[in-house]
Amino acid sequence: MSLEKLKRIDENRLEVPKDYKEGMRTNGIIYVDSILEKELESGSIEQVANVATLPGIVGASMAMPDVHTGYGFPIGGVAAFDLKEGIISPGGVGYDINCGVRLLRSNLKKSFVLLRIKELIDVLYNNIPSGVGSKGKIRLGPDDEEKVLLKGARWAVDKGFGDASDLERIESGGCMDGADPSIISSKAYERGRAQQGTLGSGNHFLEVQYVDEIYDEKTANALGLFKDHITVMIHTGSRGFGHQVCTDFLEVMSRAVRKYGIVLPDRELACAPFNSSEAKDYFASMKAAANYAWANRQCLMHWTREVFMSVFKIPPSELGLTLIYDVAHNIAKIEEHIVNGQKKKLVVHRKGSTRAFPPGHPELPAVYKNLGQPVLIPGDMGRASFVLIGTEKAMKETFGSTCHGAGRVMSRHQAIRQAKGRAIWREMEDMGIIVRAAGRETLAEEMSEAYKDISNVVDVVHNAGISKKVAKLKPIGVIKG
Amino acid sequence: MSVVSFNMTFEVLDISGDIGIKASGKTCEEAFVNAGMGMYSLITDIGKIKDEKRMEIEVKADSPESLLVRYLNELIFQFDAYGFIGRGIKILDLRLMISNLKTEISNQQSSIKLKVFGEEFDSDRHEQGLLVKAATYHNIKIEKRNDECIIEVIFDI
Repeated sequence: MSLEKLKRIDENRLEVPKDYKEGMRTNGIIYVDSILEKELESGSIEQVANVATLPGIVGASMAMPDVHTGYGFPIGGVAAFDLKEGIISPGGVGYDINCGVRLLRSNLKKSFVLLRIKELIDVLYNNIPSGVGSKGKIRLGPDDEEKVLLKGARWAVDKGFGDASDLERIESGGCMDGADPSIISSKAYERGRAQQGTLGSGNHFLEVQYVDEIYDEKTANALGLFKDHITVMIHTGSRGFGHQVCTDFLEVMSRAVRKYGIVLPDRELACAPFNSSEAKDYFASMKAAANYAWANRQCLMHWTREVFMSVFKIPPSELGLTLIYDVAHNIAKIEEHIVNGQKKKLVVHRKGSTRAFPPGHPELPAVYKNLGQPVLIPGDMGRASFVLIGTEKAMKETFGSTCHGAGRVMSRHQAIRQAKGRAIWREMEDMGIIVRAAGRETLAEEMSEAYKDISNVVDVVHNAGISKKVAKLKPIGVIKG
Repeated sequence: MSVVSFNMTFEVLDISGDIGIKASGKTCEEAFVNAGMGMYSLITDIGKIKDEKRMEIEVKADSPESLLVRYLNELIFQFDAYGFIGRGIKILDLRLMISNLKTEISNQQSSIKLKVFGEEFDSDRHEQGLLVKAATYHNIKIEKRNDECIIEVIFDI
């Protein structure tokens, strides 16, 4: 029913017109082609329209091709707000603040690593804390936890986890300025104490992959990606710490909605005017959680390097296991964009969306200034993941944003039912992928069929020009929580 | 004190991405117990949890829905921060008031007091199920009919 009201703009975009729903201040734009349009949920369309009703929204309420229904904002959603008239919303960031991805490249060839892949995955599984109720190797005292919140990945480097040279290859240098540890609830501190340096569960993973296909050789080589070379991808976020921050602030914001008289079509859109004290507190806490997540991925990367060195007995220089980039895909940021020909500062919400800045953008580190920002898109554990590069078109159309992953097509229970009687680990092993998971049903829930085909998602953003394909990576070993 | 036995009545709600619980009971007390136990059973096989430790929890909120979310988030917090998981829940006191948006916004009218019986989770002994991160307001429902109370709640996984 709701699909009929949408208008196709071009091959890759659908419009949710402003008259789709009462109260919309702007239109919605959903990046899907005719293939992914079939998988579009009516709930997602409704949520794109709901976001368009929020005060101070600038440009369209957008959704990337991996869109699916979330809480309040859709997952795959991008929305920018005016700093004076607009709002900030925890629902536009998500529970897992700074859930994100980092990618390492190496000098190792696939054929060499395959000889010892089982041993490698076993040792990684034993050294990367993962799964429900698992305990990390790090215990943060109150002082240390505050430093994590203030310094992010730099805290980890100061502690000896990785090198200072890693920092410039992390979005925002691995640390957002303006985090305020004094606002954080004691509950968030308590949840965060033992979870630094842990992978978590669900769709989070650590994958050993190889470069399967290269689409843009010049860019790939500049990033250190060569065909059949090994890469490592780490997908996780701010763990219980970030969740508690989100939980705490959903309550603060639901009070703020009444206080400031904001009319909402869905209570999970709870928000506050960006210049209010509630918004300032949330933003400063969100930054603390984002920093917690960057420190987390930095620690996990450090242990991954140690495992590679111990398993292959190769010195770091020969291994060349270096960071390509680290992106956040659940975050809100103040950024400068051109709106109606004028430079304007906006608060851009990306919930299940990746920044995709073009070459020359002032926020890019020197190493990528001429190349553009690497975009890292994780797929499901059986198919592939992708590296793309940011474009000028993304700046014009999507506030410099693109997709973030595959997106589910099957619920967890549907997946478990379909996997009944099957040994998913053996099916994966037959495909040449060694998997280890802590959870009783993680592999069933996370099997390939439960997800959209990542290739379709990436094709839409590539064809739409909001980021360009560089390389395809295929897994040979996966660790899940 | 012995562990309270009860009829666990809940079913899993299927939604893409996350998971929900539909819990019911003759009274709202029973439905609240079943919602909590239903959530625990997503995390692990609660049959293997021992009754070694008790914890008293008290939560207040300005609406029944908000009380339900806060109560479940408190159980999640105790598990995520300290590994404490229950095999049984006993409600000591439950007050559900219908919220009135026109009244004072900080007026906390609904409240729950409960005792959880359980132990500290040990991944060597206990099955690892879903990592439940938060209870949400998404499609949340508390319905009181004549002789039945039905709760629906969706969790962020």
